[in-house]
Amino acid sequence: MLLPARTAVLNFLYQAGEADIDKIMEALKPMYGTEKQFNKKMFMEHAMSLEANGLAEMKSYELGQDGELMLRYQITDDGRSTVEKYVPVTFRRKEGK
Amino acid sequence: MGNSSANAKMQQLNKKFRVTGISSGVISGLTYGIYTTLVLVAGLYEPLVSAVGLLAVPFVTSGLNDFLAGLWLLLYNGGKGRLKELGRSLNTFPGKMVVVGALIGGPVANGAYLAGLAMAGAYAIPISATCSLFGALFAWIFLKQKPTKRVVLGMVICVAGAITINWVKPEGSPNFTIGIICALVAAVSWGLEGVISSYGGSMLDTDVAVNIRELVSGAVTMIVVVPLIAAFPLMAATVKAGVPLLILGLSGLSAAISFLCWYKANSMVGCAIGMSLNVTYAFWGVIFCVLFLGEVLTPTIVAGSVIIVLGAVIVTMNPLDLLKKEA
Repeated sequence: MLLPARTAVLNFLYQAGEADIDKIMEALKPMYGTEKQFNKKMFMEHAMSLEANGLAEMKSYELGQDGELMLRYQITDDGRSTVEKYVPVTFRRKEGK
Repeated sequence: MGNSSANAKMQQLNKKFRVTGISSGVISGLTYGIYTTLVLVAGLYEPLVSAVGLLAVPFVTSGLNDFLAGLWLLLYNGGKGRLKELGRSLNTFPGKMVVVGALIGGPVANGAYLAGLAMAGAYAIPISATCSLFGALFAWIFLKQKPTKRVVLGMVICVAGAITINWVKPEGSPNFTIGIICALVAAVSWGLEGVISSYGGSMLDTDVAVNIRELVSGAVTMIVVVPLIAAFPLMAATVKAGVPLLILGLSGLSAAISFLCWYKANSMVGCAIGMSLNVTYAFWGVIFCVLFLGEVLTPTIVAGSVIIVLGAVIVTMNPLDLLKKEA
């Protein structure tokens, strides 16, 4: 069974260190891409909620070519220890390469 | 130029996120007031109105209400394409924490809240609202979210409001004090649930977490608690009667919206602020009970409700900020 989507976002940041929303979605597309919940609005909410809870922090932001904001997040120490505590090792290896 | 418009967009986005968090908290309070009133209205119909025993009606109504709320939420999450997330979340440790929170917040807190309402009327509502105080206290102990002096002041004001309400006992309610104690049990349990859900919710989608919460709470109350207190025949009769079930369907919808917004606010603007906005239900609950159920408005309940809401506002924000201009 897959990880819940928000946990998968945190798990990807754990592996990548930092990434923008597009990159996160690209990495998770093979697993979640066919689901209706797979859209940018939902993933921005995931990232911002992780930030509000101190598990991730915004690294930088800039305007993309489409004039939309590109938000770049990195995992915090709290986020890292949360993944190490609660995400099974197999997921830490398998997802988001 | 590009940089400054990126800055402006970012500011706008942050503001939108915060406004969504705060308004979710406010809506959760309003809809909780509606839920409270509708559950009491359902209790005015047969077979609930003539049921005996202090616990039967509160647990039958809270079990049915929570389970129906869970079904509403299944429809909502199904529409958003998130049904698979339920199983995925339950498979994680934080998902199991949500279940623990549901057991404390559901059968324990909701049952105690409705028992409190049955025995002490609208007086129980603001007392249970001190849950924000317990929430902030437990968040301090377990999550190391240290409250500021302002938050502590707001919390003390909330307690003062609760004491004010309890100052003058209404005449002719022999179980008043037990009712108030039940409301207090609800407050402590909700405070604990808020912390547990904010913890579990931090890496889970809160819309999914709250769905699990309502389904678990409703199912455990109906399958375990109701038969234990020998209230199963009452539950069956309530389902058969139709009208009370319909009202509980509506109260379930209000509760679903309320919990959805409450969990969202907790995860967007923090546990202390989310819970403080949620407790404005005390104000709405009392107003609706006076308007629609003919509860008597006394000076102490008015003063106490206003003080509690004021305390909740102070926990949430610095009123002086409203006067400051942005630099």
